[in-house]
Amino acid sequence: MRGKIVFLIMAMLLFTGLAYADLEYHKVYKPQAGMTADQIMEIKYFNKYSLFANDYESVGDVVFMEKDGSTRNRRFLRQRIILGRASDDVSYKDLVMFTEPTSVKGLATLTWNYMNPKRDQDVWLWLPSLRKIRKVSASQANDSFMGGDFTAEEITSRRFTDETYKLIGEENFKGYTSLFDGKVYHKDEPCYVIECVPVRSPWYYSKRITYVSKNFGGNIFDEIYDPNGKLFRTIFRGWIIVDVGGNKYPAQNWVEGHDLRTEHKTIIIFDEIKFNQGLSEDIFTQKTLMRQRW
Amino acid sequence: MVILTKKFKTENLNLKEANMRFKPKIILVLILSLLLFTSVSEAALEIDRGPIYGALRKLLPFENLEFAGYLKNETSLRMAHGLDEFMKEANIAQLELEYSFNENVQFFTILKWFYDAVFELENRYDRDPQWESKTNKKLKYPEKMQWLRECYLDILTDKLDLRLGKQQVVWGTADGVRILDIVNPLDYREWTLKNYIDTRIPLWMINAEAQLMPNGQLQLLFIPDYEANYYPPAGAPFTLRTVRLGTEAMQALTQARVTTATIDEKPAHTFENTKIGLRWRSIIEGHGFEYTLNYLNTYDFASAAYTMMQGVGWVPTAFELTRRAEKIEVYGGTFSKTITEGILIPGLAKGWTLRGELAYIKGGAMNYGTDKNIAGTANVSMCNYVLGFDKSFFTNWLFSFQFIQMIAQPQSEYDKRLYTLLNGATRGPLDKIETTLTLLVSTDFMHERLKPQVLVLYGDDNDWRISPKVSYEISDQWLATAGLHIFEGKEQQLNGQFDKNDQIFLELKYTF
Repeated sequence: MRGKIVFLIMAMLLFTGLAYADLEYHKVYKPQAGMTADQIMEIKYFNKYSLFANDYESVGDVVFMEKDGSTRNRRFLRQRIILGRASDDVSYKDLVMFTEPTSVKGLATLTWNYMNPKRDQDVWLWLPSLRKIRKVSASQANDSFMGGDFTAEEITSRRFTDETYKLIGEENFKGYTSLFDGKVYHKDEPCYVIECVPVRSPWYYSKRITYVSKNFGGNIFDEIYDPNGKLFRTIFRGWIIVDVGGNKYPAQNWVEGHDLRTEHKTIIIFDEIKFNQGLSEDIFTQKTLMRQRW
Repeated sequence: MVILTKKFKTENLNLKEANMRFKPKIILVLILSLLLFTSVSEAALEIDRGPIYGALRKLLPFENLEFAGYLKNETSLRMAHGLDEFMKEANIAQLELEYSFNENVQFFTILKWFYDAVFELENRYDRDPQWESKTNKKLKYPEKMQWLRECYLDILTDKLDLRLGKQQVVWGTADGVRILDIVNPLDYREWTLKNYIDTRIPLWMINAEAQLMPNGQLQLLFIPDYEANYYPPAGAPFTLRTVRLGTEAMQALTQARVTTATIDEKPAHTFENTKIGLRWRSIIEGHGFEYTLNYLNTYDFASAAYTMMQGVGWVPTAFELTRRAEKIEVYGGTFSKTITEGILIPGLAKGWTLRGELAYIKGGAMNYGTDKNIAGTANVSMCNYVLGFDKSFFTNWLFSFQFIQMIAQPQSEYDKRLYTLLNGATRGPLDKIETTLTLLVSTDFMHERLKPQVLVLYGDDNDWRISPKVSYEISDQWLATAGLHIFEGKEQQLNGQFDKNDQIFLELKYTF
């Protein structure tokens, strides 16, 4: 059961993040020439969690890929409502429901995220094997994300204030060849190259070099270095631009983590991405978790 | 005549035992072979649900119909006899179907069949065709349709959800112990070794959940159905001591030419006997503190035993046992709170989840007497509670600790110098306060593919159960689990009564 709890926390954290006070909700931001590394990273975090939209929905697949190429899959439905509501401090609420395979079918999480960056999320899990809702605390930042090749903070909980930033260059991204489908993504994307050093020390990484797109403000690629300064992991993030009533919304549709030591890969693919569907806040309650039947 | 019969049975048993001697090992080899030769690779993004799903999809090509299920083998072997004695050889098939009429109205059902061949494989267990103890094909009570695990219609709206039909409802926050989780009766076929999801006996009911406030929900239950807890009959692998003693006593009376009768007084399926449940669930905003208040008006699923002996002079001639389901009221509540910043000082207990649960049960009855012997029946109220503490250490090691107390408060008089209340499961003396501690430690390796855990239960009076297990996800569809259940204690205690039932178990599950 513990495995399922961690899995769900991780799954939930996939879709959670922290709001950034300086940027206004429901607006689209792009990096501008002359911005500092801090300003670029603020926009990067804002876009990562889709805080420009009213709501968000997608179907996703998590693929665990072994060194020999064999895979295990998880499929989920994700819904989010972005509120940015000062009266009760709610930034956004997330619902994640796993639909396949049968071994995880029915697992679901509900998360309420707050505008105050010091306030932790409220997280509830629906565990079909127990038929009950469980309130849990969010996972530790350096815990493995869903057993994959990311840490929890890399996908979810890292805050703007967790690192210091230095703009070290601007270049066209050389492109990322996916280890999953062999395709090349984001070739020649103009990027800011930013060095991020964790405030916490010692920590599981000494620094990371991140490539943030000049066109839409999303980070495309992370090179992560261990405490000895050796590159040990990479994370690629693919983005698409979704036209919503004339607004150009950046949306992550691919995340690929590669552990260079073990050659294990984890790929998260988002499909059927929809914004501003008019989701009701009533969906994001425990009652919805209890509707799970499997 | 009796002696001859016994001799024949013994010879027959020895012959059978000789034939069976190597079968458990054969089964072990078969299971391991299956594991080794099972395909582990599947195409990414095409979540292959296998040939069974494919065949069912062709058979039921309805667009709005979704289904899933599993096939499972559960094998357990007694450790005391060199792993050459089965305690379970069960094959299980479960099919779950969901039909969506539209976004707001859906039908869902779970069909489950199982057969435990242990009664054929081992002669030590009673060969009497007690079908209900090895299969859900209740020949004696076919109307109960136990193969129909769940069957209900959901009517869902933003403010009100209705679930109408056969279902299980779970209250409470405790793991592995039932404090408020008493809406449904329980199947004790394998004691409490299995998940409650598989052992709760679903009931027909109306379940309404209303969203009265953004952070508050009210649940109403109307339960016209009643079933008692299921206790395996004498001769089964996990026969409760109280059942065994009762059966032995009845047999002794019969042999002494005393007329015996057993009367089961269950509530009739009438409107007046409808059980009612209420639960208010809310979150205190800004503090992450969640609580429920619960009320249940029901009949006890564990019947109280009333005995009456008639005789001529000192010679008994008739004995009557009445098992009565008492009407009880349950008042209770739960809370849970995650410590995000610290208690009293910043950082103290950060990352812990605290949870608790309390149930005050009014109107119950328990037997009193001495070990093994019932002297009478007393009205008893119970106050049960659990406090739970959960935290992950070293990034992915979960420690979950529970402190549980059950306090029995007799409401009617009996001679306390001679008698004590009796444990309903063992007919052993019951302390006024029974304390139990549980600890669950679990983690994972190989990208959450290999998941070991150990559960330890300790009851005061030195009563133990230790259950380590490890599960391995072979592929998206195949899951293998192996583990042990080790019991220690006196036969008067909950786990100690199964002191000779230490077992190793293997499970292989195929989901589709």
